[in-house]
Amino acid sequence: MRVLKSEWLKLVSVRTTWALLASMILIEGLAAGLLTSLGDVGDLRKRNVATLIIGTHLAIVFMFTLGALLSTNEFRHGTANSTFVVTPKRERVIAAKLAVGLVVGIVGALLYIAVNAGLGLSILSNRGINVDAHDAVNGYVGVGVGLVLGCLFGVALGALLRNQILTVVTGMVIFLLAGTAALFIGNDVGQYFPGESLLALQGTPGADKTLLSQTNGGLVLGGYCLVLGIAGMAVTRRREIT
Amino acid sequence: MAEIAVERLTKRYGETMAVEDLSFTVEAGRVTGFLGPNGSGKSTTLRALLGLIRPTSGRALVMGKPFHELRNPVRSVGASLDAKDVHPGRTGRGHLRTLAAAAGLPDSRVDKVLDMTELTPARDRRVKGYSMGMRQRLALAAALLGDPKILMLDEPANGLDPQGMRWLRDILVALAAEGRAVLISSHVLSEVEQTVDSVVVIGAGRLVMQGTLAELIKGDRRPALVRSPRADELRDLLEQQGATVTIDGRPDSMLVQHASLEQIGTLAADHGIPIFELTHEVATLEDRFLELTGEGGNVR
Repeated sequence: MRVLKSEWLKLVSVRTTWALLASMILIEGLAAGLLTSLGDVGDLRKRNVATLIIGTHLAIVFMFTLGALLSTNEFRHGTANSTFVVTPKRERVIAAKLAVGLVVGIVGALLYIAVNAGLGLSILSNRGINVDAHDAVNGYVGVGVGLVLGCLFGVALGALLRNQILTVVTGMVIFLLAGTAALFIGNDVGQYFPGESLLALQGTPGADKTLLSQTNGGLVLGGYCLVLGIAGMAVTRRREIT
Repeated sequence: MAEIAVERLTKRYGETMAVEDLSFTVEAGRVTGFLGPNGSGKSTTLRALLGLIRPTSGRALVMGKPFHELRNPVRSVGASLDAKDVHPGRTGRGHLRTLAAAAGLPDSRVDKVLDMTELTPARDRRVKGYSMGMRQRLALAAALLGDPKILMLDEPANGLDPQGMRWLRDILVALAAEGRAVLISSHVLSEVEQTVDSVVVIGAGRLVMQGTLAELIKGDRRPALVRSPRADELRDLLEQQGATVTIDGRPDSMLVQHASLEQIGTLAADHGIPIFELTHEVATLEDRFLELTGEGGNVR
């Protein structure tokens, strides 16, 4: 619990955390508001949930970055020295960072859903467009889980790579270029890539033939987080802090 | 039992030998200076003691154990490796709270060490606005959080102004007087010579000497400085007596080895040669330090 409290304090004691969360909410709120306000009514009747959550990919980048900073800030600012002197069992530190990443991921996901649903659904309703409740719940669950896993992915990858720029760039490539892997490698393998798994998790319509099912997408992305998290703990335990 | 014991410690990074077969001890109740030029292996040794790196061979023990075996590391050892190791966006108090929380210490202890290091007025300012001296104080505050028996500080005087140096000296001497073992590293002897009771000098990763400051000076064999208006005549006489004489810049001044001050003075008096100055050139600790560790640095 001590390490957990320490990691939580690290997260909330820097402005970057709040700036990233606020930026994510602002951007996805703008995206949801503008797209539902200005979109063609005919299109929105067919693809209302997909349009609502179209900003998720940018939101994932924010949540991933937040998670990555949790790990890589230790090395970027040299605080790893004092952190691992105070807590020599280093795997506990990484586990605590993952736990904090889970919590902030849930907070971010709930904020996202609250703003997105509050704004987007009310605009759609005003424009006389009905949204299928089942589709909406399905979409928001996928997006919420995706944001949480995106944050955990950042913590785990950061623990493994240590370098802040390398971690963030890797995350950008994985998540922003999602959908392109299959073009080069083929669906059989490409659908298991993290970015593609995230697309599947969101229940991206029209991609049923190229992506895993929503549940399997979530399981694959969760699997990545688990493997990277364990690898991050193992590497951090053995790594020389120089 | 020594509070800190480094036993035949060797640390190699690929082809580079950072520390080689280094052994020394640090006792409680005194301030020990860990001295050596930049790149001589001081930080590597401290990191090995703190369990941050693994020795290639040998042991680095704190209270008789490797660091990771200590039951309560924060109570045993307080350390600062670099005053810049702080998130610049965190406040001074916020930084200390993260460490105190991990160690299970209350916020009241944070406020106590802020008070001890005279940082209370700046405690809620972000660290990026701190001067180097304030960062050094914050690093010491972090090291003191667990009220540890041993303090290890890497270059704590770096960037301090004269007032800061005096403050550091006073607090370190007081902490040692309370029975703590205090080990402070420096590459500038003058920074710590008024603070330390004993020294461990390393160069190129190897032990050069361990002892008191007096012992550090004792090994010195400096020539006598002699100034006389009849220097040439005295020089011939001294050389006839087996002394080695070199002219020291000015025509009336020379440096004499292998002859005591008494021998030189008596010889001059016997021959009626006036002496304006007769003294041993005083070796500063810095001179001795450079003699021992080499002036060319220790980049390997």
